[in-house]
Amino acid sequence: MSKLASPHIVNIADLRALARKRLPNAAFDYLDGAAEGEVTARDNIAAFSEVIFKPRQAVMTNPDLATRVLGVDLAVPFILSPIGYSRMLHPRGELAGAGGAKRAGTGYILSTISGHPLEKVREQNDKVFFQVYLMGGREATKRAFARAKALGYKGLFVTIDTAVAGMRERDYRNGMGPLMAKSLLPKLPYLPEILSHPRWLARFLLDGGMPGLPNVVTDTGPLAATDVGRALENAHVCWDDLKWIREAWDGPIVIKGVMSADDAQRAVDEGADGIVVSNHAGRQLDGVAGSLRVLPGIVERVKGKTTIIFDGGIRRGGDIAKALCLGADAVLVGRAYAYGMAAAGDAGVDRALEILRADLVRTMKLLGANTVGELTPALVALKPGFRID
Amino acid sequence: MPNVASPHAVNIADLRAAAKRRLPRAVFDYLDGTADDGVTGRDNISAFSEVVFQPRQAVMTAPDMATQVLGVDLNVPFLLTPIGYCRLLHPRGDYAAAAAAKRAGTGFIMATGAGTAMEDVAPLNDKFFYQVYKIGGHACAERAIARAQKLGVKALFLTIDTPVSGNRERDPRNGMGALMGRKWLPKIPYVPEIMRHPRWLARFLADGGTPAMPNVRGADGKALPAVDVADALAQANILWDDLAWIRKLWNGPIVIKGVMTAADARRAVEAGADGIVVSNHGGRQLDCVAATLRVLPGIAEAVKGKTTIFLDSGIRRGADIAKAICLGADAVLVGRAYAYGLAAAGDAGVDRALEILTADLFRSMKLLGAATVADLKPELVRLPAGFRVD
Repeated sequence: MSKLASPHIVNIADLRALARKRLPNAAFDYLDGAAEGEVTARDNIAAFSEVIFKPRQAVMTNPDLATRVLGVDLAVPFILSPIGYSRMLHPRGELAGAGGAKRAGTGYILSTISGHPLEKVREQNDKVFFQVYLMGGREATKRAFARAKALGYKGLFVTIDTAVAGMRERDYRNGMGPLMAKSLLPKLPYLPEILSHPRWLARFLLDGGMPGLPNVVTDTGPLAATDVGRALENAHVCWDDLKWIREAWDGPIVIKGVMSADDAQRAVDEGADGIVVSNHAGRQLDGVAGSLRVLPGIVERVKGKTTIIFDGGIRRGGDIAKALCLGADAVLVGRAYAYGMAAAGDAGVDRALEILRADLVRTMKLLGANTVGELTPALVALKPGFRID
Repeated sequence: MPNVASPHAVNIADLRAAAKRRLPRAVFDYLDGTADDGVTGRDNISAFSEVVFQPRQAVMTAPDMATQVLGVDLNVPFLLTPIGYCRLLHPRGDYAAAAAAKRAGTGFIMATGAGTAMEDVAPLNDKFFYQVYKIGGHACAERAIARAQKLGVKALFLTIDTPVSGNRERDPRNGMGALMGRKWLPKIPYVPEIMRHPRWLARFLADGGTPAMPNVRGADGKALPAVDVADALAQANILWDDLAWIRKLWNGPIVIKGVMTAADARRAVEAGADGIVVSNHGGRQLDCVAATLRVLPGIAEAVKGKTTIFLDSGIRRGADIAKAICLGADAVLVGRAYAYGLAAAGDAGVDRALEILTADLFRSMKLLGAATVADLKPELVRLPAGFRVD
């Protein structure tokens, strides 16, 4: 797929444009969209341009990107974030994500709402983590834990920001509910748009249509896929759940969706091995801060007490450098690789990760930083009013 | 040649528009483009509009713009910055810039990556400076510095912000790598756009195509062939550790170009630099560094009086020059401002650009109530909250 090389694809925005061409609106907007007015989603990205680099010039640099988080060695300080319904973006879905991560020397976090089973994903990459929603109830969740444990998954990412699905307006407009439901008639108005993407449609149908949820196995078997609004009903994890999760899982537990220093402290008090500073990419409560804005305050409170992972708006290697300078131990990238997956499957994921890696090497050279540990607050300034505490 | 007199070209933006019409996109974007998302490139310009003048009215002013930097007398407090590949903008490239600087009574800094030999240009302007990259390695740089010494070059400008080329995305999209490469086949997709600029193309071909880099000579005396900027800059950066080596070779003033923090400014002074250039390379290297004007006050507080302070990046009007000097610069460098003129109309275009800046500055000083460059002091400006980056 030389179409993915420069100059066709130079940055993540190019992969996004290609994904937009390839996918039906319903699938692209599911990936690209966010909640309500998408104020937070935009701010996730805009906040990065309010962080100003202060480079150390004229020093010899040969950057080493390696780091270690949650007991796992990573060749780069970014991990692939869980994305529900990845198999809808491309039949290879989670396998492409895990495989691309493996080739980049990093980890992959498998979503509960995934179309490929834990076992197949583990075959792609030993640095795999499992993201937890309580879909299908506590027993179904425990079954998934047991499988993940037996397979050697490295940790759980427990998502706490989904008391209910955010109001993702594009999904309604695109008929996501009817399209994911069983009855045919309500789908009709939305079919012409989908038929205008025959290549996607052919692949989707060959893949067997909408996959079930092989990682949510209830007493009656794997749950069928539904739209995200329904999926997240009763799937929410509360602080009280951590106790039984801890009993059912002896390994690292990361709390994903922390947006305040108080919740970060609480996660530490509950014994979390890590937190993800995340607003779910602006897909849940609109009007929360761009996640980079709350990072400094959270770092001040819990740095050194738990692993701090940052998520939200990473589109360039320079963004990764900024989050690390502000105190994150590593970051998650989501849409950045998913655009690549939607555009070109495995090769697209590889290209996205290569762009981010090359960007980060260049940025560290230009900053005068040789290691991830040298990315410190001394290398950045914040515009006035940047922080939200 | 297009007419660059008023009303055709009233300001630098007009010259930019004329350059855009004249040049193939690949060449215009090489000149005009910046790194990544262009955050720093835009901020370099917009920072100037946040600086508020506080004029002293009703005083008689007949501004004298003369100043002296690095032991060189200048009629105006700005110099012409080094621009690599400037012969691609116009065959007269470095000649036009050096000669126009001479007519304006100021200096020209020649780039290591120039398409013309320094010996050919130096006779046009005795206020002649040379910018140093280690393109081709230490030995090439040593040969160039020895030549510069022999020519009586007034000072070396050592660039420290290029450990790697910035991510200038317009260049790969325009096929810059392919166009600068040797093979013909990869050029083909980009040729139609270039054919749309027959006048530029005819001049370019008459000039012999992409010139080599005669300031970078191998042991055999041959000039290094031109390559695209990413390859050229791969091992070009000057490090602090190189200063001792350069001091031994060079008996004259040394200026460190690419200082963006007070810490690096102090380090340059400790290393014995005669001058520094507060520069982010026109926003072409690391994106999301501050506009140079935002870091100038802090750097001036740290090293003013201990070394000569230059500022570059974003100067498009004479008033911008006044602002930078008010905030602590001894002089500024202008780059794109004259290069747009060069691309638009060769020698006449550079003359026009310098005339615009000179007339602008003269008028600004009158309106400010400043009779000399030394009168351009911090008292004449106000900064909004949050302007500075320290």
